[in-house]
Amino acid sequence: MNSNNFWKLLAALGLAFALPWLTLIVLPYVGQSQAAPIAYGEGEEVDGGLAVYPDRTLQSHGSSDYGRKIYAAEGCAYCHTQVVRPTYAGPDMWRPGWGGREEGGFARETRPQDYANEAYAPLGYQRIGPDLSNVGHRITTAEEMHRHLLDPKSLDPESAMPAYRHLYTPSPFGKGYEPTPKAIALVDYLLSLKKDQVLPASLSATN
Amino acid sequence: MTVPQPTPEDLQARAEIDRSARYPVMFFFTSAAAWLLFATALGFLSSLKLRFPELWDGCALMGYGRLFPVHFNALVYGWAMQAGIGVMLWLMARLTRSRLQHPVALIVSGHVWNAGVALAVVAIWTGASRSIPLLDFPGWLWPVFAISYAMTVVWVVPMFHSRRNGLFYISELYLIGAAIWFPWIFLTANLLINKGSAPAMGAGTNAWYLSNLIYFWMAPVALAVAYYIIPKISGRAIYSYPLAQASFWILAVLAGWTGFARFMGGPFPAWMPGVSSAAAIFILVGIFATVVNLMLTLKGCSKLWEYSPSLRFTVMGMLMLAFYAVLSALSSTFAFGKNLQFSHFVAGLDALAIYGFFSMTMFGAFYFIVPRITGAEWPSGKRIRSHFWLSTYGIATLIGFTLVGGIAQGGDLAVWDRKFSVSTVNSLAYVAGRGIAWGLIVWSNLIFLHQLALMFLGKGRKSAGPTLIHAEPGVAASARAVADVP
Repeated sequence: MNSNNFWKLLAALGLAFALPWLTLIVLPYVGQSQAAPIAYGEGEEVDGGLAVYPDRTLQSHGSSDYGRKIYAAEGCAYCHTQVVRPTYAGPDMWRPGWGGREEGGFARETRPQDYANEAYAPLGYQRIGPDLSNVGHRITTAEEMHRHLLDPKSLDPESAMPAYRHLYTPSPFGKGYEPTPKAIALVDYLLSLKKDQVLPASLSATN
Repeated sequence: MTVPQPTPEDLQARAEIDRSARYPVMFFFTSAAAWLLFATALGFLSSLKLRFPELWDGCALMGYGRLFPVHFNALVYGWAMQAGIGVMLWLMARLTRSRLQHPVALIVSGHVWNAGVALAVVAIWTGASRSIPLLDFPGWLWPVFAISYAMTVVWVVPMFHSRRNGLFYISELYLIGAAIWFPWIFLTANLLINKGSAPAMGAGTNAWYLSNLIYFWMAPVALAVAYYIIPKISGRAIYSYPLAQASFWILAVLAGWTGFARFMGGPFPAWMPGVSSAAAIFILVGIFATVVNLMLTLKGCSKLWEYSPSLRFTVMGMLMLAFYAVLSALSSTFAFGKNLQFSHFVAGLDALAIYGFFSMTMFGAFYFIVPRITGAEWPSGKRIRSHFWLSTYGIATLIGFTLVGGIAQGGDLAVWDRKFSVSTVNSLAYVAGRGIAWGLIVWSNLIFLHQLALMFLGKGRKSAGPTLIHAEPGVAASARAVADVP
């Protein structure tokens, strides 16, 4: 084969790929990496006097970095999403118990900055169980969350979630189970999941 | 239009190429088939766990969140990639009429790849998973795959470059494309996701990786096989060469834009899922052109399907490619996709790509290549037939159940005040279908692995005629002779 043609072909194959690679992946990735937090405007009333969105202290919770690893290791993301879709794609923002707007709730569609404290946004693969973007608002105490992990059917008899008993050890005092450090970290992480920070007016035109 | 008959010198040269490819290619093929059985068995177990959540309660290793990613990764890196690499090496050698060089180096890098898959499986299974679909393995493991791929597939490029004849085969184009695109998407996805500085785009990059793996690696390798096997078995030249070239470039230009439709409504600028949806729809033009081109090549000799195992699997793989492209385009539109998003259909669609079109085409290639490189014929045509129908029924069951189940599940979730668990309870029957489907596929692959192991051990049939379906073994010199096709 003509060597010239060979290089021309390789260039064409590369070019066909380089355009989407650059515009769809690399440039948006770099752009998002460098995005600065957005300040609230003049006169915006924000609880607790927050200065910027995203506020990283709001999104962190105790040992949640370890908890996030347990969330990934157990494959929670294969059954649970962490995406609140806008109304045109589904009624995620209106569902009762999910901070539904029908009840005057806080739910809003998730934005890229809502995952600012994670290295990878666990958006999920399937939605076999409910969305967990705001699970910290649905299950509010560690005790209840542990009970849910140990025996999901105790909260909802129709739940299809398996029991995560391997994250617990039988209590030395006979009755019940004691959480392992993994379970404590996982519960910390789950309780911290609240994607509801009020958006600055400059961002929230769509909400 | 028929192709000229090969001369005795041609046949001699082919036999030499086949001999040079024997050990490396058989190594990739047999390890791929072993991983396939492992992966499909886990597909069955994970579906069982999904249907009966209280099963194996309290056992860390048997949770769905671990079984499914192990199944998914083993299916792609253990089976699909290795089968594809083996086919790539043999096909490029045959097309460029060059002997496969460096068999020892190839086998060594094959071992590295298998070690990588084994490490990934153990890591995911024992709790080091990152829950990033198809990149679940720990961050330090990707160089193993990258190095092994480079050490193996690098030989394809000089073969292509030094090709001696003037003719330019469409299969070569697809192979060289697949060879250079995969490292690009694999490195991009791993480097960006491991960097971890843009979490939402990380998830988007993963969605892009999944769909590019299908359209930029699996589809080109499968099409290279189809453009080789269909003319070869039918003894006809491809219906339209310009159409084949045009459809290649349509795929090449559009495939890189797909992927983000998986997260329509997700935390991305709206144009990204939008452009991906558009690409998934426009790509239908290229896929349809290719599949129609291949089917028109077979016009007037469709009877060959009855007899030739390679042709039968390849044609079914191509029909499933068209079906996959249609479903993936449909689910990219808001009207259809918003309810199917995150439903069982997602898992069904990914399986349709990996098992339906890619694996079926690879089986076609295996049935063609293995007798040539081992110098023996497949032991049983009946077994090949069982493998074909069990696989076809299996994948049809899977996509049927997950499509209907996905519509039901998505429909339940689309009603804002319906309790969430209604969707779970209503989809249980379809989840059972998922289990049955993987059960059928496991059964079919037991048969396949058994046959392949016999060939590997030199226990194949020694006779002049090939093993055909619906014909006594060895009676005819080819499927064409028995089907009475000129």
